[in-house]
Amino acid sequence: MTSLSDVEILNRVRAFVQREFLYMRPDFALADDDSLLKSGVVDSMGVLEVLGFLEESFGVRPGDDEITEANLGSLRAISDFVARNQH
Amino acid sequence: MCGIAGIARRHPSGVSLATLGRMAAAIRHRGPDGYGFYATDRVGFAHVRLSIVDLAGGAQPLGNETGTVSVTYNGEVYNYRELTRELEQRGHRFHTASDTEVLVHGWEEWREAMLPRLNGQFAFALHDQARDEVILVRDRFGVRPLYYAVRGGDLLFGSEAKALFASGEVAPEADAAGLDDVFTFWGVVPPRTVFKGVQQLPPGHYLIWRRGEIELRQWYQLEYPEARDESPNAVRELDELMRTGVALRLRADVPVGGYLSGGLDSSITCALGAALSPHQLRTFSITFDDPRFDESEWQQTVAASVGSQHAIRHIRPGDIADAFPDVVRHTETPLVRTAPVPMFLLAQLTREQGIKVVLTGEGADELFLGYDLFKESVVRRFCLRHPESRSRPALFDRIYPYLGDRSRGGEFWRRFFLDAGSVDDPLFSHMPRVLNTRRIREFYSPAMRDTIGAHDGLAELRDALPAAFAGWSALNQAAYLEMTTLLSPYLLSSQADRVGMAHAVEGRYPFLDHRLFELAASLPTSSRLLGLKEKEILRRWARKVVPPTVATRRKQPYRAPDAPSFFEPKAPEWVEEALSADTVRTLGYFEPAAVEGLTRRCRGGQATGFRENQALVAILSTHLWHRKLLSDQPTVPLSADGADVVIVTTGAASPARSRTSGSPS
Repeated sequence: MTSLSDVEILNRVRAFVQREFLYMRPDFALADDDSLLKSGVVDSMGVLEVLGFLEESFGVRPGDDEITEANLGSLRAISDFVARNQH
Repeated sequence: MCGIAGIARRHPSGVSLATLGRMAAAIRHRGPDGYGFYATDRVGFAHVRLSIVDLAGGAQPLGNETGTVSVTYNGEVYNYRELTRELEQRGHRFHTASDTEVLVHGWEEWREAMLPRLNGQFAFALHDQARDEVILVRDRFGVRPLYYAVRGGDLLFGSEAKALFASGEVAPEADAAGLDDVFTFWGVVPPRTVFKGVQQLPPGHYLIWRRGEIELRQWYQLEYPEARDESPNAVRELDELMRTGVALRLRADVPVGGYLSGGLDSSITCALGAALSPHQLRTFSITFDDPRFDESEWQQTVAASVGSQHAIRHIRPGDIADAFPDVVRHTETPLVRTAPVPMFLLAQLTREQGIKVVLTGEGADELFLGYDLFKESVVRRFCLRHPESRSRPALFDRIYPYLGDRSRGGEFWRRFFLDAGSVDDPLFSHMPRVLNTRRIREFYSPAMRDTIGAHDGLAELRDALPAAFAGWSALNQAAYLEMTTLLSPYLLSSQADRVGMAHAVEGRYPFLDHRLFELAASLPTSSRLLGLKEKEILRRWARKVVPPTVATRRKQPYRAPDAPSFFEPKAPEWVEEALSADTVRTLGYFEPAAVEGLTRRCRGGQATGFRENQALVAILSTHLWHRKLLSDQPTVPLSADGADVVIVTTGAASPARSRTSGSPS
């Protein structure tokens, strides 16, 4: 798989989150560094969807000990994690 | 068990039998065995009867010797034989062998001081002609329902709100604040309801209506006088109260059966029921295809152990969606779970099998701290005392093992619990559930938000907490909140009374014997929740009552499939209609784009979390509720087919009673 640029990754992650988690709140302003958990956008079940999305879209499969806020807690954290781990 | 309704007029303009007939017809499912009316120039009562005690003589409404006190009554007073003896010793003459008659003589003798003497589950209305008063009463824990409305000084009441609407004097209208409470607590906390201008009598309260004036009084208050140490007699007292509690609840002139989930609580009630019943016990269970919900193995173990004749209702694909509209019509409220549906189907099976009274295990989790919510609140406090600890939050994973390892979402899962409210909040224990449930608000339309306005059910609840609350331990505070916000408004209503009485099946609750509640509330919390071991004293005692594997079995919460039930290949047509943009827009509760997004995700099998599952159930049930309770109020004729009919009319100046048979005109 060709490596995507950081901007492309971020755009894809943002589009995914808006489509799947913010469809009921289209006016919700989510900044790239906002906490997905504290803002209530993604809950623990939602994290599973994020994991599925990362695997399907980027071929990235975080280990159990990598499912942390540091790696998956915001749009930018997710994008950075993908950028570090994509092949 | 029965249904009641009635009207008290401010002015002596009378109550027509036609009006009482419509009110009775609306709740006829609660009492198919007979009906009756009582009317004076100011007061009219209706009663629909499910014959359980004194089959021949227990018809209602019923009066005292002089006709000055009359009652219409739904429920059971289990200690009626003892009270009858006591009242006879005081000179009262009884004409029936029913528990109903205890109420009229008891009221004459003791007035409201009668209420603490009653051991049972009841909602009733009394007309005291001498004082020109109508008194509405509801049991301690809210087992039996009672709704009322005041229009122009007239009081209208009924076991279900649909009886009020059938009078033609109360218009059904949505109460947005009440709906918002359902989408916060799962059910509306009394006295509010989901209908504007309609109230529920709070549990443990009575209401006195006197020529248009209303006074609400509390006769029973939950108290938690927690002891520091467990009394050496505690297990013996528990044994005595469990056995006498079940024995009292077997008092009936029809066979009493038992609901059997396979968990500890219903295994106890079935085991004692089988031991104390003069009949072979009939037991009834729900089974599912999905092993996450199914407990049939445990049910079979207990049924074999107690020697019951066991019947099951297997929940097949399509059953939940097919029955959901009927369930909503009976529950009279939007729902956030489908769990009432299998209970509705279980009651149907029970009735088909010829049983109309069942023992059930509700109340044990509230009394003996069985729910995960109690453990969760302990772990949350424990973690928040040392927020830097990395090992403490791992305890959350031990509370919900049935959700699967990876599906909990690691750190995110733990963070949710730790961020859900401050330890200083009196509602601390319930905030994770509340915050989760309130996600339904994200689907509200702007109009719905506007109508709700500044209403905040949480603030109202905080303001209504009893003065003693602050002095209780954290776990007893949580237990109180569970009793008052979930047990009565949701579990005993949508998951019990309504779905049972839909098929004229009465539930009886040995764990909700007030003597047992008072024992449990006086125990140290460590006798009830020891570390993460729930219902500790109950398990200790139950080892000799139920199979040992059941006594030590970890609690499995009762759940039913939610969103997927409505998207099976042969889903009924109503689902598509209820989710259509047209319906969403016309009814106006939710935002069309949000519902469209949710429907897309449900159809795609992506909506797997609580948040979206409950939102879907909420939206579907709100639309059904609107259609069935607000728009399409059917006028049902009152049929006298096979029913015993009693009509008692008493003029204000003439206390003479007349009794006639036949249909009301």
